[in-house]
Amino acid sequence: MDPVTSRPGRLLIHAFLLIFAIYSFVPFLWTTLQSIKKLKDASSRTPKFLFTPSLENYEELWLRSTPDNPEALAFLFLLALLILLCMLLFAQYIPLRRSIVYGAATLGFIALLWMMPRLLHTARFYDYFINTLVVTGGTILVSISIGCLAGYALARYAGLLGVVVLIAALAFRALPRLAYVLPYYWIGSALNLIDSHILVIVTLVAVNQPFTIWMLRSFFMEIPKDLEESAMVDGAGRLVAFLRVIIPVMWPGIVATALFTLLLAYNEFLLVRILTQTNWTLPVAISRFTGGEDPRHLTLAAAASVSATIPIVIVILFFQKQLVKGLAAGAVKG
Amino acid sequence: MDRRIFLGFAAPSMVIMTLLMVVPLAMAIWLGMHFMTYDNVLEPQWVGLRNYGDALGDERFWQSVTFTAIYIAVVVPSWIVIGFVVALLLDQVTGLARGVYLSVFLLPFIIVPVVGTIMFRQLFEPSGLLRWVYQELFNERFRYTEQTVKSLVLIHGIWHVTPFTLVVYFAGLQTLPQDLMEASGIDGASRLQKIRHIVIPHVRSLTLFILLFSIMDSYRVFDSVYVLTELNPLYKANTIMTYTFQTATQLERLGKANAMAVLTVIGIMVVLIPNLYLSWKEQIAER
Repeated sequence: MDPVTSRPGRLLIHAFLLIFAIYSFVPFLWTTLQSIKKLKDASSRTPKFLFTPSLENYEELWLRSTPDNPEALAFLFLLALLILLCMLLFAQYIPLRRSIVYGAATLGFIALLWMMPRLLHTARFYDYFINTLVVTGGTILVSISIGCLAGYALARYAGLLGVVVLIAALAFRALPRLAYVLPYYWIGSALNLIDSHILVIVTLVAVNQPFTIWMLRSFFMEIPKDLEESAMVDGAGRLVAFLRVIIPVMWPGIVATALFTLLLAYNEFLLVRILTQTNWTLPVAISRFTGGEDPRHLTLAAAASVSATIPIVIVILFFQKQLVKGLAAGAVKG
Repeated sequence: MDRRIFLGFAAPSMVIMTLLMVVPLAMAIWLGMHFMTYDNVLEPQWVGLRNYGDALGDERFWQSVTFTAIYIAVVVPSWIVIGFVVALLLDQVTGLARGVYLSVFLLPFIIVPVVGTIMFRQLFEPSGLLRWVYQELFNERFRYTEQTVKSLVLIHGIWHVTPFTLVVYFAGLQTLPQDLMEASGIDGASRLQKIRHIVIPHVRSLTLFILLFSIMDSYRVFDSVYVLTELNPLYKANTIMTYTFQTATQLERLGKANAMAVLTVIGIMVVLIPNLYLSWKEQIAER
């Protein structure tokens, strides 16, 4: 639309947008404030904006006991994190193959996470965090691998069967979760898999598969057919052409789809709530703080909520473009 | 690509979807015909259609259906109207400001729904900011009652999903037919006339899409209602999903819960079938 040029008009637009931004942001701001207050300040009936900030809620949430030399440990941890982040950000300047650099950085992260309980007395919340990482990572890996194969096939196959699969996927995506999750509970009990990561990952892959194949298909359709056809003329088989020629140009699409799969797995509550007993992921663990009897739950819930949100904020900051494009594309392409 | 290769590529995905979506759905119908609690999960007892009758005769089930209908009727139009208006306003700013606004606006939608609801609830806890504001404004105490909990569920619903419609409309606005806009400008059309006669028709197909998807999504709303109503089940602010969940967990009637899940699947068909028909036609045309 053509821009409003008059000065009062522009001021009015910014005023409205600012109000909407505040409306969107107030719960985050308030919860963050609550999470760094001592319990006495946080439960005051008149809101306190002047208080001595304290990290004791986070400490209680993540640690079972205070370490002897917290400053030194925090320093070492941040240093390791910084080195790994630099490796990822400046990968192109390192004179090694990309895959080696990324692999090493990933291993470094895993080592760091593995070391943590051995250096500190971490609390249960840390285990839930690790569970979430395992479930999310596993879901992305499986879902994207099989989704790419199916999405590619659906983009290139013109037969009626392809349309049937797509429409069936659309139907299954729209059905209420509970209709699957309750039978999953039965299957899990029969196979004695309740509370295992594998059950959660496999079922999450299944319920997200319709979305994944639709999104990946739309990206594959943007890749011209000539690309793999010329490779196949040169003697490569369909699978080799797919792996060597198509996948390398598909990376933006794969990253965008992985991003949404990450959010779906990270956010999932109902399925994990029913299929686990103690091996919770973060959403289920955090929902336990809303019981209400223990007054400490007020600030612990705040600290837990902020902790679970920080990774998402990082994701938004880095991938805002892909997120907006993906959300909009989902609408335009169905 | 021929059919054999297609099946080869699509097999892993199709197998997992058949085993974990088609089969469980059939199982839900079958489990719904059994009396099942957590003690006899693996040896359920056949009761025929009694669970379905039970569910349909259950007053609380119908209460949850009513509240779900109210939820859809309030929340979906709000998403569409607020999302469209804010998208129009956001379209007016450019550069860095646009990115910053967009990031902030997206937060409620991107965040873990359970966490978002807890954050929202923090505002209304006894020491919450908005509870205090309410008390200062109206000079009366804010209490959790059936009315206030229901209102909170509705307000949270609007807060949570508006960013989605906003982003969709915002993307739609970027593809407005420029020549038409310019021509109407030369003809002296006012801004409101342009919105009325060009922009709204342009985003009509998006609105239809949003409408179908939001009805289906709000029909199965669960996480936020669960967190907001958890304190006291007496508030009767259950939606179909939370009541089914309660039947499965607190009341331990797994068979009945399965039957209710099947009934909700039948219920969604009202919206789903037209949607599928549209997509089918579109896909066949594209082929």
